[in-house]
Amino acid sequence: MPIYSFYIFDRHCECIYVKQWLERERNSLRPTTSSGASIINSPLSGAPDKRISAGTIADQSLRTAPGRLSVQDDAKLVFGVVFSLRNMVRKLSGPEDNFVSYRTGSYKLHYYETATNLKFVMLTDVKMSNLRVVLHQIYVNLYVEYVTKNPLSPVEHPGGEGVAVELFELGLDRFVQTIQEA
Amino acid sequence: MVILSILILNKAGGLIYQRDFNEGLKKLSSNDYLVLAGTFHGVHAITSRISPVPGSGGLEVLESDQFRMQCFQTLTGTKFLVFAEPHQPNIDVVCRRVYELYADYVMKNPFYQIEMPIRCESFDRHLMAYIKPKQ
Repeated sequence: MPIYSFYIFDRHCECIYVKQWLERERNSLRPTTSSGASIINSPLSGAPDKRISAGTIADQSLRTAPGRLSVQDDAKLVFGVVFSLRNMVRKLSGPEDNFVSYRTGSYKLHYYETATNLKFVMLTDVKMSNLRVVLHQIYVNLYVEYVTKNPLSPVEHPGGEGVAVELFELGLDRFVQTIQEA
Repeated sequence: MVILSILILNKAGGLIYQRDFNEGLKKLSSNDYLVLAGTFHGVHAITSRISPVPGSGGLEVLESDQFRMQCFQTLTGTKFLVFAEPHQPNIDVVCRRVYELYADYVMKNPFYQIEMPIRCESFDRHLMAYIKPKQ
C-alpha cells in the first residue's frame, strides 16, 4: 500500500521536515485556476521528481506545473487541517482525547502528537490500518536518536535546520519501505 | 448501536441541526456548535485540496480516541455528520438513513425554509425512533 507523504511540525507551527514519495502528477488532471495568485510561474521541470526531500524547506523551490501547490503550501494546508481537527476533537470530547486519523475517498491522514507538541503526519492509501504506532516508532527510534541526540543539531529547528540528517532520512526510507511492503 | 450526536450543515457551512442522543461528547453552547460547523466546512474543503491523488473528495471518516465521525455530503452540498463510538460499524448506512428522513420530513415540509435551522417536530420524532428505537 502506497505511502504518499510525511510531515513533521514543531511546536511553533512550523513545518520542519517534508518527504513526499509519490510522483507529483496530480495537477495534470486538475483544472488550473484562473486567479493569478495561485498560478506558479516557474519553469516546468521536465521529469517529475520522484523523491522530493525538503530538508531545508526555506530554500527549496520544488514546483511542478502551474495550478499545483508548492510543497511548502501543501505543508501549510496540512498543518491547518490537523490543527483545526485536533482542536475540534478536543473541544468535542475533552482535552484528554486525541485526534488519530481521518480518511477521504482516496487517501488517509494519520496523526501523532508528542508531549512536546511535535506533530507527525503521514498521508497514505485509504486501506492502510492505523499508523499511530508507526509514527510513534519514527519519533522514538529515528527522530530522538538521530535528530534530538545529534550534538550538532540545534535545539529548535527553524526552517527545518538539522532535521534532514542522513541517518534520519535513511532510517525513514527503510522504515517506510517495510510498511509499504507489509 | 450507539450514536452520540448528529449534526446537519447546510451548503454554506451553517449549522441547521444539532442533537445529542447518548452521553459521550461534551455539551457545547449553541455558538460553539456554529463555530465548529463553520470550521469543519472549511477543513472539509481543504482536505480535498491536499489530496496526493487526483480527484479526491473531502473528509469522510474522522477517528479519535473516544469517537468516530462519519461525514456524508449530498450532491447538493448538505453535510450530515454522525458521531458514534470508536468501533461502531456501518455508520455510513446511518448517514444515508438520516438523509432519507431529512428528505421525507424536512424537505417535504411546506413550512420549512430552505437552508434555515430545522425545526420540524416529525423529523425529530422519526430520527429519535430510528436512532433510539426502544424509548
